[in-house]
Amino acid sequence: MIMRFLFPFIFLSILCLSFRAQSHPEDELIIREIEEGQLEVQDQQVSAEYAAALKRQRIRKLSAMPWYEKFFVFVKAGIEHIIPKGLDHILFVLGLFFSSLILGSLLWQVSAFTLAHTITLAVAALGIVQAPAGIVEPLIALSIVWVAAENCIFKEASKWRPFVVFSFGLLHGLGFASVLSEYGLPQGNLVPSLLAFNIGVEVGQLIVLVVAALLVWFIRDKSWYRKRVQIPASIMIALVGLFWFVERVFL
Amino acid sequence: MKKLFIIATVALFAACQTQKDQTEMQAVENPFYVEWDTPFGAPPFSQIKDEHYKPAFEKGMKDNLAEIDAIVNNPEAPTFENTLEELERVGKLLTKVQRVFYNLTGSNTNPKMQELERELSPLISAHYDKITLNAGLFKRIEAIWQSRESLGLNKEQLKLLKDTRKQFVRSGALLNEEEKAQITKINTEISELTTAFGQNLLAETNGFELVLDSTDLDGLSESIIAAAAESATQKMEKAETEEEKAKYKDKYVFTPHRSSMYPFLTESNRRDLREQLYKAYVQRGDNDNATDNKEITAKIAKLRAERAKLMGYETHAHFVLEERMLKTPEEVYDLLMQLWKPALERAKVEVADMQAVVDAEGKDFEIAGWDWWQYSEKVRKAKYDLDEAAIQPYLSLDNVLNGVFATTNKLWGLTYTEIFDVEVYHPDARVWEVKDKDGSHLGIFIGDYFTRSNKRGGAWMSSFKGQSNLDGRKRPIVVNVCNFPAPIGDAPSLLTFEHVTTLFHEFGHAMHGIMTDVTYGSMSGTSGPRDFTEFPAQLLEHWASEPEILKTFATHYETGEVIPDELIAKLLKASKFNQGFANTEYLAASLLDMDWHTIKADEELKDADAFEKASLDKIGLIDEIAPRYRSTYFAHIFSGGYAAGYYGYVHSAVLDSDAFEAFKETGDVFNPELAAKLRKYVYEKGSTEEAKDLYVQFRGREPEIDALLKVRGLDGSME
Ligand SMILES: [Zn+2]
Repeated sequence: MIMRFLFPFIFLSILCLSFRAQSHPEDELIIREIEEGQLEVQDQQVSAEYAAALKRQRIRKLSAMPWYEKFFVFVKAGIEHIIPKGLDHILFVLGLFFSSLILGSLLWQVSAFTLAHTITLAVAALGIVQAPAGIVEPLIALSIVWVAAENCIFKEASKWRPFVVFSFGLLHGLGFASVLSEYGLPQGNLVPSLLAFNIGVEVGQLIVLVVAALLVWFIRDKSWYRKRVQIPASIMIALVGLFWFVERVFL
Repeated sequence: MKKLFIIATVALFAACQTQKDQTEMQAVENPFYVEWDTPFGAPPFSQIKDEHYKPAFEKGMKDNLAEIDAIVNNPEAPTFENTLEELERVGKLLTKVQRVFYNLTGSNTNPKMQELERELSPLISAHYDKITLNAGLFKRIEAIWQSRESLGLNKEQLKLLKDTRKQFVRSGALLNEEEKAQITKINTEISELTTAFGQNLLAETNGFELVLDSTDLDGLSESIIAAAAESATQKMEKAETEEEKAKYKDKYVFTPHRSSMYPFLTESNRRDLREQLYKAYVQRGDNDNATDNKEITAKIAKLRAERAKLMGYETHAHFVLEERMLKTPEEVYDLLMQLWKPALERAKVEVADMQAVVDAEGKDFEIAGWDWWQYSEKVRKAKYDLDEAAIQPYLSLDNVLNGVFATTNKLWGLTYTEIFDVEVYHPDARVWEVKDKDGSHLGIFIGDYFTRSNKRGGAWMSSFKGQSNLDGRKRPIVVNVCNFPAPIGDAPSLLTFEHVTTLFHEFGHAMHGIMTDVTYGSMSGTSGPRDFTEFPAQLLEHWASEPEILKTFATHYETGEVIPDELIAKLLKASKFNQGFANTEYLAASLLDMDWHTIKADEELKDADAFEKASLDKIGLIDEIAPRYRSTYFAHIFSGGYAAGYYGYVHSAVLDSDAFEAFKETGDVFNPELAAKLRKYVYEKGSTEEAKDLYVQFRGREPEIDALLKVRGLDGSME
């Protein structure tokens, strides 16, 4: 294969004309290079186009999969959106964890959180509600500050705590929805994939709680637990939340 | 402290990952140097980095020359096997890197690759010169050629021998040393002149601008105005002096770039401004200034004639056409003139139609060149009333792809499965495995359809892997690249009918590249003469506009409703609109091209303007139409590789119309016997036989022009 490489540019490709319009892109190419010089590539635009294409590709792949594979993919995506990608959700759940050592109280809070974010995730993903990320994201940061601050002020979780957590859960659901829409949902099986994603989120949440519980298992009954662990950890969480808030609003 | 540790660990997650990527990258060796152990042997795009190309090109060229030397220095007497077949095998690395690189510089480029492209271009042409000017190699080929009768070669082998030898001869292998030196001198001169031609043209096109006030925008639509304001802003930003900046402040700029000019000519109600812009466009390179191209064009034509004479040809056109399906200038002129008369007649009718609109508007002027776009659009709206937006919902990309897949399935039994385990260079590139009717693997088809900012404009077909049966069955990987609008959000991509035609067209090229089945890779697929290779592509377009087929795939993307008959009728009628103009401007340019390249070496040539005028007067071109390209900006023939070749498009069109007519004559556009012949003699054969012989074997006779006249509405049916 040598001779036919004499004109690598011409040989390699057949550029075409559209017969109907009598325009000749083949010629256009030559003309364009002469008249307008080279293509000017802008990095920012290229990467925006790339991200959009990546999403289209993911959706195509998904719709070609059998249902069980699709289910697995979305469960995995749900987990990944907690660990490692959902740092703010991890902190929020840890914030809940450091509020109380009574299993019952913790269970109430986590259930309220789960119920709330499931609702908003569903309505947002189905396109019923739309919330701008510019508002939701800073509020999520503030919700972290709130629960952590409460932990420092009150020794045990207050009675209204589950309701507060529920309304914060609504916010976090909107946050999940925006990452999910970036990720791309197949038009065909919207509800099953949503369900699978949510299951993944719960699994991720559970892992965080179990790991945290294991780590404090032997020190939770110590008299210094609140002073040396619960409060310092909550302060750390609140500070990180505050930093995110500032970052998301002002930077 | 344990809790702090948790937080710190989680926070470190992201940072670790990027570091891992970098170390991995350095460890990998140049992926072009190893065998690609990938599904279907597709390039491992994720491993190929920008810095791999240059060393691979350099090594590829070096290896290639060493392999050629090995063939030349083979102590055994030259045979077909140890010379021509070996030539097919050499240059594997270079081929590999070239295919990836030149595909990606077209469809997914970046500044680094663009720079490398400029750097490589002279090196690569020098490389191939070294091979075609290798006297030792030619000696071996010539020896085989002289004894060809006694070698028992089959048809395909003989054609390979003949074509290869011809490449050497056409580079001057049969000339004596003095003549060779002369050719080299002429080549250098020509290449300097063609470069100057291009530079002048660029300067001339950038040299004119229409700077308008907000009061000059009568008739222009919002998007056009916005674009013109944007280009004024850009000029202002680039301006160096305050004075210059002031010139563009709050102004609107139009230029003779066609993307800027055509919308203006179509929409602007200011006839005086239309005239200014149009005249600036047609005068490019003809302004008697430092960037004038008149003398250069004449010189290039003259030098080409001299070179042809040295090589033993009557004119440059004779030299070029020797390799084409139409073999002589007489055949080309004959074809062009057969079309010329009906096209011109039709154009005159179109002028009259437009004049009627002018008169009805109560205006007092005669239609001129700068009125054509505006008034033809008015006629189109009145006569054809086709709303593109009403058609698009029926033409989602997925529907159209299903349409083209179904068409080729009915013709040849091919089936398509979208697959995801083949790596692609961009996530918008989709991959299908193409299987033959017996279920065997035929090839890989990649469709890269959406426009993006690092892709060149237009549409094309190309390949990442060629087909050959020389050392085992090797099947191809073919790609179609288009510039359809990317979907917005989650909506599907909706095409215009013109896009649909383009998709079918490119898919026709892809079929040519995928169904091909030849022994020697260099003769496979689309390797045939340029006035033939558009034929298999243009042919497929005909199926796209068959109402029966349209109805099978054009269903509404939301409601699923099939496209209404009334809409189809309008669509097909509109396709014959403005064909007088389109054909006339194209044919005038083709004839001008032929005239420039049928001059004799000793002919007196002084002025390009006078030459062009004589050429156009001879055929009776009307003042309202300029050739699609006038000599001083005819870059295809004076700067690109289209000399004596611009007619190729219409020649392919004669073939495709005539070929589709064969199907229509049987009353079945999927006639199985004809489809089988088409595959056997056209899509499978590559360039293993003369193009004309292939066509005649398929059609049973030589091509005729009548079907094309009918398709383009030039048969008098439009009056
Ligand atoms: Zn084409």
